[in-house]
Amino acid sequence: MKKLIAAFVGSMALAAAPVALSAEATKELKMAYDADPVTLDIHEQLSGGILQLSHMTFDPLLRWTQDLGFEPRLAESWERIDENTMRFKLREGVKFHSGNELTTADVKFTFDRLKESQDFKAIFKPFSGINVIDDYTFELVTSEPYPLLLNTATYIFPLDSEFYSGQTEDGKDKSAILKHGNSFASENLSGTGPYTVAERKQGVRVEFERFDDYWDSESPGNVGKIVLTPIKENATRVSALLSGGVDFIAPVPPNDLERIKRDNSTNLVTMSGTRIILFHMNQERVEAFKNPKVRQAIAYAINQEGIAAKIMKGFATPAAQMSPAGYQGHNESLTPRFDVARAKELMKEAGYEDGFTITMMAPNNRYVNDDKIAQAVAAMLARINIKVDLKTLPKAQYWPEYDNRAADMMMIGWHADTEDSANFYEFLTFCPDADSGAGQYNAGNYCNPEIDALVEKANVETDLDKRAAMLKDVEQRLYDDAAFIPLHWQDLAWAAKQNVKIEPVLNVMNFPYLGDLVVE
Amino acid sequence: MTTATVSRWDRFRESFFWYSFKRDKVAIASFAVLLLMVLAAVFAPLLAPTDPYDLAQINIMNSELPPVGLDGADSAFPLGTDAQGRDLLSTILYGTRVSLMIGFGAVVLQAFLGILFGLLAGYLGGKVDAILMRIADVQLSFSTLMVAIIVGAVFKASFGNLMFGEIAIYMLIFIIGVAEWPQIARTVRASVLAEKKKEYVDAAKVMGFGTRRIMFRHILPNTLSPIFVIATVQIANAIISEAALSFLGLGMPETQPSLGSLIKSGFDYIQSGSWWITLIPGLVLVVLVLVINLLGDWLRDVMNPRLYKG
Repeated sequence: MKKLIAAFVGSMALAAAPVALSAEATKELKMAYDADPVTLDIHEQLSGGILQLSHMTFDPLLRWTQDLGFEPRLAESWERIDENTMRFKLREGVKFHSGNELTTADVKFTFDRLKESQDFKAIFKPFSGINVIDDYTFELVTSEPYPLLLNTATYIFPLDSEFYSGQTEDGKDKSAILKHGNSFASENLSGTGPYTVAERKQGVRVEFERFDDYWDSESPGNVGKIVLTPIKENATRVSALLSGGVDFIAPVPPNDLERIKRDNSTNLVTMSGTRIILFHMNQERVEAFKNPKVRQAIAYAINQEGIAAKIMKGFATPAAQMSPAGYQGHNESLTPRFDVARAKELMKEAGYEDGFTITMMAPNNRYVNDDKIAQAVAAMLARINIKVDLKTLPKAQYWPEYDNRAADMMMIGWHADTEDSANFYEFLTFCPDADSGAGQYNAGNYCNPEIDALVEKANVETDLDKRAAMLKDVEQRLYDDAAFIPLHWQDLAWAAKQNVKIEPVLNVMNFPYLGDLVVE
Repeated sequence: MTTATVSRWDRFRESFFWYSFKRDKVAIASFAVLLLMVLAAVFAPLLAPTDPYDLAQINIMNSELPPVGLDGADSAFPLGTDAQGRDLLSTILYGTRVSLMIGFGAVVLQAFLGILFGLLAGYLGGKVDAILMRIADVQLSFSTLMVAIIVGAVFKASFGNLMFGEIAIYMLIFIIGVAEWPQIARTVRASVLAEKKKEYVDAAKVMGFGTRRIMFRHILPNTLSPIFVIATVQIANAIISEAALSFLGLGMPETQPSLGSLIKSGFDYIQSGSWWITLIPGLVLVVLVLVINLLGDWLRDVMNPRLYKG
């Protein structure tokens, strides 16, 4: 018996040894966001939530650092071959969650799938193709010199081509991208990232586990398990952190910033953001919105400074354009034009003195205080006799409605994917075109081919001063035309327990690199 | 005609009802407070400094002002403002109106259905009784809130939000009224069962009166006192149900706040300084429900023959 026990203990010790080696990642992190990812298919939707998921379960070719430089990830190095071509060298020995090894075939598969994706194709429009040289070398080719090539490459998260190819048991194509549908990819995932999805109940919780064979052995991250719980109510989310129910929350509502700062056991990180929050006015649904005077009247009726000061508690910058300060297109001469008397005058000139009724939709767990902002805007429009039928919904229901353009005014927040002004116009004001993906999130159906042409011209302009002048002109024209109603650039805030070192993994894109998170 | 009213008034003044009311300080105080709140609610459009339902009068720059007496208060807003800049005093006056309307409306509907079905079940007995009471049992096995949530969601989806805002108050009366009628029906049925064996009913039958006349003219008046007691409690319940539904976002829309939706709208701010948005309407709701319940208690004591005759 004793022998048996000794043998048993011995075998246990042996079995435990390899575990002990990789046992660095043993910490558990409980975090609460305002919402959980709506799908596991990272090409189904272009949104902050999905990109956050991408950085947890996949790895990009390269990624932004905190000071907006580039950091190699799956691409070890890159060099420019000619003005249209960039050659990348892929890291060797990287494994997917499924056990397959990463090669250029996976990158090509991913690139082709991005070109197919409704949401991503516009970003990859400047790219004409991908040249595979060998298993670990490939080239990205653009049709014209493209200054934002590397910026765009941060959105290439190689997918496991073997895992996503073939057919499911009921005969569906595994690589299919289905918006708001039940595709294979929306429920299954295999990436190279630091975490695998262990369990997922939509809207309730997502459990991530550290991937044992993660390639980045130099990553300081020591979190073995992450439990993500969506908590929509602002006050509840903050209380969960302060009471110790969760270790990390985002976003932090502006009216609770002081409370968290006062609390000694928590750590607050804030950054001024570049995400613009705006309303589109759908010209196809409302005849009056075709009249620039009506659109201008609305622009004059909205008090951006009031919203930023009162609802956002100063935790946002009032906006009159899309490009935040520091972007090439940022036009300093454009300022918010709140003036109710002028707005009424314009409504009168347009022949809508008695106003009209419109529908409005906004999410209630996507942007900071989104539902309160929408209510305030509805109240402001009431002053120029526009009656608003407002509906706010959770984002899982909001995006399908958004894709259907289900209301006359819809809210959206946009962060430039390439950290460049042109990205705003391409997605939010370009004439909608399903083939090229242009205007994919233009819920206003605003269409001005002249402006679009100017942006296209700026995109291939390599002289930065000239390019900036063109983009500034675009902002000016959109402003004069009141193509949309900008509200503010939303600031960013995260909060965590003192022992959770979030600061090094956060950035202005709001993509926390949780793989590198250290918990003490 | 005048003598008749005087004599009725005299009769009232000599009644046990008036006698016990005069001697019960709690009842007097509760009644005074309720009367005050009802009057304030009825005359809300005259008393309120602003119209909280008119979005054009709201200015975001006035949001989250504290009640008078605190730092940063504005004397134009005696009880402060909510997160959208609505005057809380006006909103509470209008909100109390909505709450009371729903409370009374729902109970009138409940009483109508409950008395009708209770009388029929109790007096006719047999199959009618079995069927009606089983319906009531089934109905009671669903919670009011659940029924209200389902019906509310269906209404909202089919009418759109703007339309829903206009009919929300009637819909809430309907939902709460329909969901709670079995409470009254059961009480009425129990009283009817006791009454119908009494001699005056037999006498009426011998005199050849019809069933309907016996039910409504002879039995019903004798079952009224428990209905009064239940009705007061049910008014309080209906007000609470409405507040709960509005708190869950399924009751009155944000643009026409009732007490419940007002409490909800301040919930995000309660721990970050602006406590008044939730606390003041909350207090009003508590006081309103409390005085109605106290009056109901008193009424039960007065109307229970065992307590004063025994």
